[in-house]
Amino acid sequence: MITNRLSRWTPHFFASALVNFIGAEMLMLAGVTWPAHALGAAGTLITIHLLVIGWLLLLVLGALFQFVPVMTTLPLASQTAALACLVAVEGGLLGMIAGFLGVAGGTPRLAWLLPAGGGAVTIGIAIALWNVGVPLARARPSSLPGRMVMTGIAFLVATVTLGLLFAAVLSAPAAMPRLTPILAGVGEHALSGLGGWFTLTAMGVSYKLLPMFMLAPEERGALGRGVHLVGAMGFALAVVAGLAAIWRPIAIVIDIQRIGDVAIGLAVALYLWDVRRIYRERRRTAIELHNRAAIGAFAFLGVALASAAIAAAAHRLGAIAPALAFLIVFGWLGGLGITQLYKIVPFLAWLVRYGGRLGRGPVPRVQDLVRDRAALPWFIVYGAGVSIATVAALMRWPTAFRIGVAPIAVATIGLAVEYWRAWHATYADASRPVKPVPPAMPAPPASRETSLLINRGDRPRWNP
Amino acid sequence: MNGPLALDADAVTDALRDVIDPELGYNIVDLGLIYALAVEAGVVTLTMTMTTPGCPAQDYLVAGVEDRVRQLPGVADLKLDVVWEPPWTPQRMSSLAKAQLGIPD
Repeated sequence: MITNRLSRWTPHFFASALVNFIGAEMLMLAGVTWPAHALGAAGTLITIHLLVIGWLLLLVLGALFQFVPVMTTLPLASQTAALACLVAVEGGLLGMIAGFLGVAGGTPRLAWLLPAGGGAVTIGIAIALWNVGVPLARARPSSLPGRMVMTGIAFLVATVTLGLLFAAVLSAPAAMPRLTPILAGVGEHALSGLGGWFTLTAMGVSYKLLPMFMLAPEERGALGRGVHLVGAMGFALAVVAGLAAIWRPIAIVIDIQRIGDVAIGLAVALYLWDVRRIYRERRRTAIELHNRAAIGAFAFLGVALASAAIAAAAHRLGAIAPALAFLIVFGWLGGLGITQLYKIVPFLAWLVRYGGRLGRGPVPRVQDLVRDRAALPWFIVYGAGVSIATVAALMRWPTAFRIGVAPIAVATIGLAVEYWRAWHATYADASRPVKPVPPAMPAPPASRETSLLINRGDRPRWNP
Repeated sequence: MNGPLALDADAVTDALRDVIDPELGYNIVDLGLIYALAVEAGVVTLTMTMTTPGCPAQDYLVAGVEDRVRQLPGVADLKLDVVWEPPWTPQRMSSLAKAQLGIPD
């Protein structure tokens, strides 16, 4: 079966994710919300859900549907389930947004959309977990990336469970008075989601993709296992002890929470060191643009780690938390996502458009579907915007924050256009006349102008 | 006037240079993905690998190899195996492929 390695609906996940990301950026650009804004305001809730569910969740699920089969060499449980997941999550998100707007706008008849939308998102996540969980559980031997994704999924379950508890307590606080204090656990909810789920999963997927595209050794050894174990333990301790401290803020619980925080910091530091090792051990001397741009995302993760450590030492972690969350969502997770899409989208486009033509006629390379000189400025603008907006959030300066968000939004749209061009193969022209290359001539350099001539490497290309 | 070329391993190898690994952008022969090739009485027996297990392009590469080989005159049958041992490494590339991809020889 020729399509069992291609996740049919992944491009739709990516397209939906980008639309939601741009939507959230527009809301911030319009001044609807910013990181220091009241968490319970409707505009803030809509923006957060657009970012976390609409952008990051759909992006990661779309990527997992494509790359879990790569990590496990086993197919997904179902291709149709991926579509059901997309419809449930995106539909549920729209329902939640309508519910937030209804509640804020004094239209209580729309309030039912809030739990209904949340329920639909939960169903979509459950479908996704089954779909990727089957190959992950069956894979023998399990790989480090696979185990890290499994750990991430466990944190996703914890995050969703906490979210459902929040919703239940908020909807009927009188019915559950002993559970009401859990509403103070928003920080642990965010840590479980952004850290345990998104970060551990992104680390696991990057452990597969970075070596694969740079031809570096995939075996990560003790360092990779250390990142996984220390990271998983750190996030688990920090979340559980953080929640326990709401009810029993005794010394031992606080100490366990601190051990968890230190373990998280250690795991992130080990990971960044290991990523540096992957780059240094790569066999391809020229780093492709998506992995060059990803260095910015790793740098943002390093800055987030250093800032958190300094702030924690100064007992000021709470004060920088909004800016830190922004840096992690836009700089680390968003940065890694938007740079890897620059490789994944043309790769999927190639499989769909040219995979069936392989061996039957000339085909372009994956690299021929993108144009680096068109995309590079957008990555630079995106990184500059994240830097400006993070500093502005740190300084509690909303106007400067919007000035920083503007280039982020422009760059995201610019990159979305480049992904669209890659998907529609507008840069590739496999049908143009082929100039013969004498057999004795060395292979031409890998440039746009000559790339379509080199698939044979040492002699003229086959013309059917 | 020359008659049709006899089917031999060289002819099959030459034809397989028309099949590229889309990500590396180079033909699968010079990338070292063909581990063994034999031709006997029109039957082509071929053992190949991928750059990484679970490669999303695997099915297309296999189909591309099958299509290209079966188009050769004189091919009666093709027996194709995809193997993972020994694992592929960049050192299996030809010098030309290494030079193209910037990999030290």
